[in-house]
Amino acid sequence: MIRTLLRAGGAAYAVPIALMTAAAFLEGLLYALIVPILKDPAAAWPWLLGFAAAVAALGVLRYAADLSGMRVGTTLLRGMYHRLGDHLARLPLGWYDRARVGEVSGLAGRGLLAALGVSAHLLGPFIAACVTPLTIVVVITAYDWRLGLAALAAAPLVLLAVRKRPAGDGHAEVGDEAAARVVEFLQAQPVLRAGGRTGERFALLDDALRDLERASRRRALSVLPGAVGMAFTVQTAFTAVLALGAYLALGGHLGVAELLAILVLAARAADPLLSLTDIGGRLRAARTELERLDRLLDTPLLPETGHPVRPDRDDLEFDGVSFRGLTGLSLSVPQGQRLAVVGPSGAGKTTLLQLIARFHDVGEGTVRLGGVDVRDIAPDELMSRIAIVFQDTYLFDGTIEENVRLGRPEATDAEVRAVSTAARLPSGWDTTVGEGGARLSGGERQRVSIARALLKDAPIVLLDEVTSALDPENEAAVHDGIERLMAGRTVVMVAHRMGTVRRADRIVFLDEGRIVEDGTHEELSALGGRYAEFCATTPATR
Amino acid sequence: MVADVLRPHGPKFALVAALQVMGAVAGLAPLLAVAELGRVLLSPGPPDRAHVWTVVLAGAAGLLVRLVFTGASAGLGHVLDGEVQLGLRRELAATLGRAPIGWFGRRRSGELARVAGEDVDAVHPFIAHAPGELTAAFVVPLVSLVYLLGVDWRLTLITLVPVLVAVALVPLLMLPARVREQHAYDAAMGRIAAAVVEFVQGIAVVKAFGGAGRAHRRFVAAADEFTEVFTRWVRGVSAVAAGMQLALSPPVVLLAVLTGGTIRITSGGLAPADLLPFLLLGLGLTAPVAALGHGFDDLQAAGRAVGRIRAVLATPPLPEPERPVLPDGDRVELRGVRFAYDDGPEVLRGVDLVLEPGTVTALTGPSGGGKSTLVRLLPRFFDPAGGAVLLGGADLRDIGSRELYRRIAFVFQDVRLLRASVADNIALAVPHASFDDVVRAARLAHIHDRILRLPHGYDTVLGEQATLSGGEAQRIALARALIADTPVLVLDEATAFADPLTDRAIRDTLAGLRGRTVLVIAHRPETIAAADAVVRLENGVIR
Repeated sequence: MIRTLLRAGGAAYAVPIALMTAAAFLEGLLYALIVPILKDPAAAWPWLLGFAAAVAALGVLRYAADLSGMRVGTTLLRGMYHRLGDHLARLPLGWYDRARVGEVSGLAGRGLLAALGVSAHLLGPFIAACVTPLTIVVVITAYDWRLGLAALAAAPLVLLAVRKRPAGDGHAEVGDEAAARVVEFLQAQPVLRAGGRTGERFALLDDALRDLERASRRRALSVLPGAVGMAFTVQTAFTAVLALGAYLALGGHLGVAELLAILVLAARAADPLLSLTDIGGRLRAARTELERLDRLLDTPLLPETGHPVRPDRDDLEFDGVSFRGLTGLSLSVPQGQRLAVVGPSGAGKTTLLQLIARFHDVGEGTVRLGGVDVRDIAPDELMSRIAIVFQDTYLFDGTIEENVRLGRPEATDAEVRAVSTAARLPSGWDTTVGEGGARLSGGERQRVSIARALLKDAPIVLLDEVTSALDPENEAAVHDGIERLMAGRTVVMVAHRMGTVRRADRIVFLDEGRIVEDGTHEELSALGGRYAEFCATTPATR
Repeated sequence: MVADVLRPHGPKFALVAALQVMGAVAGLAPLLAVAELGRVLLSPGPPDRAHVWTVVLAGAAGLLVRLVFTGASAGLGHVLDGEVQLGLRRELAATLGRAPIGWFGRRRSGELARVAGEDVDAVHPFIAHAPGELTAAFVVPLVSLVYLLGVDWRLTLITLVPVLVAVALVPLLMLPARVREQHAYDAAMGRIAAAVVEFVQGIAVVKAFGGAGRAHRRFVAAADEFTEVFTRWVRGVSAVAAGMQLALSPPVVLLAVLTGGTIRITSGGLAPADLLPFLLLGLGLTAPVAALGHGFDDLQAAGRAVGRIRAVLATPPLPEPERPVLPDGDRVELRGVRFAYDDGPEVLRGVDLVLEPGTVTALTGPSGGGKSTLVRLLPRFFDPAGGAVLLGGADLRDIGSRELYRRIAFVFQDVRLLRASVADNIALAVPHASFDDVVRAARLAHIHDRILRLPHGYDTVLGEQATLSGGEAQRIALARALIADTPVLVLDEATAFADPLTDRAIRDTLAGLRGRTVLVIAHRPETIAAADAVVRLENGVIR
């Protein structure tokens, strides 16, 4: 555990750990003074004064240790947040999916606090529970080696009990499963109701809940042997010291006052050891969180080239690209031309768009921009050349204007207003959009995202089923905006509406990761193949 | 309602507490044995050997009893904990299963899942630890106190001085400034959670528009703010907390006992042997205060969690009519329907509309005009604020929900597939449907061929063995609605994200649904052309 911490916090932990160890050691030593005080109460005063001074020193030392642990913990927390933020910002976009939101936000809240909690609340008690009893045993040995050895005999067993890892490491997974089922159950409510299943137990959820109960029972019971074993060991050692001490005292081998003082010391050693199981369990829980955090921070980033190349044109090329269902795809889009990608859902259309913006790196082949492999272009440079309008648009909680301005933060007010007019943004400039843009309708969100892309003014435009979420009136409203967005730029669009597709310079029909038809609207219509069938089933709205 | 879940377990709680208390009291035996040993050995004359060994044996026996009883209590307590948590989660699921659908719109599923997950987990200290350990933390010191008072009441009072000092410090932790800092801490924690969700959800936008942009800054700012608030809070509390901790620590208690004991012994008021029980038992007197301080954070967190659980359990269920009315026919009628979300502006402002049985009605109009809201009133996601929705002449509110859903099926925009087999997903609303019914519905929804191409056909577990695209998911949803074979069908922008196949599936289906009452939010001219009636909704009224 301490190793994990040291790796996370580095040498910064050396100071609090040293202070905590010193405090625990001092506490153990302090008890040695009990022996002379008990031996002769009449001559006890100087010893008592020493005891009081040591207690005062202990108080100061502990407070210093607490503060320093807290300070290191806070610094670590802050550093971790920054590292996490930087790492998240640099992870490939392909890494993110629905499930990641829960995972990452859980880690950012609970996980990082666990790391902080260790140094603030657990490290001190843990060190004290280890060092103080050990010091006491040394003190006992100094007074009487036989009793010291008897106490020390327990040490290996104590170590064994502390290190015993309870089963039930899978508990978190069972919990996640149950949580996922709860979410499903909630989201499926309308359909479940439709089956008249109001309030009835939903088998999938109930199974998950029962699994969770069984897992937590298993975990609880698997902790018991360790805890009971620890208690048994410590108590046996105490009993051994008690019995051996009685025997030695009866035989006159040990002074009565010494024996009694040593027994008081032994009781002092036993108590912290008994709390060790509890602290150990909590440390393990914190470590699990730290490990999850470590795994996240170890997620590889997309490799960045050491010698970035600046493309001097804006054409696109796929050369034998295979990735996630796309198989050996080759095509090119000359600068300033429009390519439309059509095909059934699941054909790989969105993947194709994502590869251009390097959400993922291809498995095989190359994606080139201006003749340069996208992997050889600096990420910022690549992104600065591409404007994307997504199928589902995410807006940040803020005003419409702020969300548009995101396209190019340094744009003038006049520019922002010009693109907003072009995209026919809803009135109410300062309207806040709500979390994720929830207060706007789908069409309104889409228009904000088009305005954003217009403002960015990038030479390459990627459109992912932009008009499909729009009803005819919204579609008319954004049509001009989209036309302006596409004018004079290299465009790749995934589209269902034939109106937009028809005007493309070239159309590819994608099915199961391959191009099955390729040509202009007229050529493909004349071919009478898949595209022609597609057109027949989907008459243009415009 | 939380109490309802706990009540049946009452006897077990009592047993857990009793075992824990007996074990803890037995744990005093070895300490008393040491004290007794001191008396025997320090008494003048040769020691009584038999007595010494009896005392040692009694101490050992006490330890054994303690081991067995506390072990049993802990095991039983945790098993009980599991049972109670299962009960709470089932109760939560049942409550949510009865809440009005519209109620969910105002809450995020993630939040509710957290209540059923983490919050129920957080109750753990209440159930597994509080009954036994808290009781023991008070009973054991009480027993010790009585014993010590019997030995020497003056020294007992001295032993209590550190406890009194610690208690005197408690008000300092409750100062208004401290409470303010605590609230600031909670708020900062909440902002971090919100910032990270925004960061991750908006990452695609952030990256597409220029590097680590604004959401990243917001996250980092929230993190910095949190650490700052945390530091301030800790700084405010730490001196007092450290003082309390020190006062209750064994060295300080021992210092008090040794000082007081030395005074009493040298003044002749106390036999040296009688100092021993104070050194051994006196330390235990701090347990109640320490237990309160130690477990307080957990208990407070548990208290807040219970509050959230209760809030969810208190959700009023969708009111069911006392005497359900059977609708006469399948004519749907909206009479002067008005509706607003919470305190928002009115979305529907007096809508009158009749859907004749056997006709298809196309609903058109600009986005934000109220179309989605209107169709959601039919399956009673919400009840209208004014006016009424009638089915077969009966107000929806007077029809039992079972009967209502037997008559109205719907396909809305956001399709949720369950992590279950395709067949189960289709038959979700009709659990007893035959396999043939499932296939027939899948064929009608033009998804049958696609399902056959999945690795295990209809037994493929979605989300695990295969993922469907948006259009395919919508066709599954359509199959769901078709298998229910209801006389009324409501479709909301169901073709919005759809590919041509889904589009065709829906139009074919609509065309083949003669004899049913259909309301469809239509965008395509061909859908509108095929409808029997077209209604345009704008600004919450029919134009």
